[in-house]
Amino acid sequence: MTFDAPWVLAVGAVVAIGLTWIYRLAENRIGAQALRYSNVAFLASAIHPRPWLTRILNAGWIVALCAVVVGLAGPHLRLPVPVANGNVFICIDTSGSMASTDVSPTRAAASQAAARAFVEDAPAGIKIGLITFSGNAELIAPLNANKDTTLAAIDQIPSPNGATAIGDALRLAATQFPPAGHNVVVLITDGVNNTGVDPQEMAEYFGAHHVPIYTIGIGTPNGDIIGGEESTIDEHALESYAEVSGGAYARAENAAQLRDALARLGRETTIEHRPVAAGFGFVVAGAGLLVVTMLSGLYVGRFP
Amino acid sequence: MYRGDGYEFVELRAYVPGDDVRRIDWAATARAGELQTRVVLEDVALTLAVLIDDSASMQVGRSRTLLTAAEEAATAWFGTARGGDRLLRVGSDHAGPPHVPVATAFEMRRALETARAALRRGTALLAIGDWYELDDRYDDLLANLGAWCDCTAMIARDPWYDGLPVGGIVRFAGAEGGMLRAFVGARERAAFAAAVRAREDVLAQRFARAGWRSGILHESDGVASLRAVFGVPA
Repeated sequence: MTFDAPWVLAVGAVVAIGLTWIYRLAENRIGAQALRYSNVAFLASAIHPRPWLTRILNAGWIVALCAVVVGLAGPHLRLPVPVANGNVFICIDTSGSMASTDVSPTRAAASQAAARAFVEDAPAGIKIGLITFSGNAELIAPLNANKDTTLAAIDQIPSPNGATAIGDALRLAATQFPPAGHNVVVLITDGVNNTGVDPQEMAEYFGAHHVPIYTIGIGTPNGDIIGGEESTIDEHALESYAEVSGGAYARAENAAQLRDALARLGRETTIEHRPVAAGFGFVVAGAGLLVVTMLSGLYVGRFP
Repeated sequence: MYRGDGYEFVELRAYVPGDDVRRIDWAATARAGELQTRVVLEDVALTLAVLIDDSASMQVGRSRTLLTAAEEAATAWFGTARGGDRLLRVGSDHAGPPHVPVATAFEMRRALETARAALRRGTALLAIGDWYELDDRYDDLLANLGAWCDCTAMIARDPWYDGLPVGGIVRFAGAEGGMLRAFVGARERAAFAAAVRAREDVLAQRFARAGWRSGILHESDGVASLRAVFGVPA
């Protein structure tokens, strides 16, 4: 926590000491007006005092005053906030191998569900676009902050069929990103690039433009046989795309892992920890507690 | 007239240590199998003694202090004396009847022990206090004194017997020291009322077991309180 005006804390401490001193004086004066009783020990055993009541009031005063003082000092808290001007393109592989059932129910359906969860969990304000790719890349949804639009687009993802043009998808994303902003690519694929632009070149391009590519390889270690051909993941290539662009690679062998990986990516790509001015919140919370404590004090016959 | 060293026979009763051995009725002793003492009416004089707890805890009250009411009762007590009766006050120094000093600060145990040692047998003793310190450790002393004298205890009624007049967080200052800051609500008021009543009951039972008669000293009227103890109409 940092402060705009740390000197206010020192002033607050001095004021607090002064108030405590005044309070003690007042308490002593009030003490002189205490109800005189013949035997305090008997009284205490008779009424079973509840000392926590006064302790709660005291704690309320102290916490409330501290909150106000801290608030006036202009604190800044590092809080998780949505990335400013955040743009995320989800690139989903729709090649024929995505029909594999080694990931239940199919790699394509699991990817679709995970993408849906990613969009639903994304903080408001983040623009998300959707690109699918098989033999070529297709823009299913341009970057937009309307979740409903993006979710509707996810439902329009074509069925698995064709080759794997990872590079084309990355190039299409590159043409769609605004020149300024916090741009991120999330790539979900189960195969090896076998047509179109070289994805390694695109990854280097993104790296040069500070656009990280987060790659997720989907499929079990043994893969699956689709159309008489083995569908495996080129993990080395996916790790390389992520590394040169400043992103990260994750392997998802089932739907849960895919969902977790995307959720983690969602937190990393759409949320950042920034110092946030919290003075107003502290002052409001402190003032609120002050009022509540004051009213409680009045209610139980003590002010303050 | 009072039970004492006279000649008019009143009753036979069990021997109590301190009884004049000349009063033991040997024939009755033989019949009863234990020592029996002949109780006769004193025809000389009556000794009226008063023991008042005048500590700070008695100097509280709603409109006036409990001690004021106690002094009223004591004055009325002495007012019953006839010619020849002797008056004695046990306690701290006080103007009025001759007194048996106990200590600078009143202490109930020492006062009772002093009364037991100083009062002659058969003395009519009126002891007034709030009796906060009275517990089962006093039982033997009370019983001994009760057998030795004709003892009456007046229990000062708590000024707030009818209810604590405060609410919320209240500071209480102990008359004999100590402070208490406590929240007083309906629950506390009810608990206090129950405790005050229970304390009076326990004290009355303790005095009864020790052979004392007892009653309540009301802050408002010491004389009426004394009358009530003895069932004397106003």
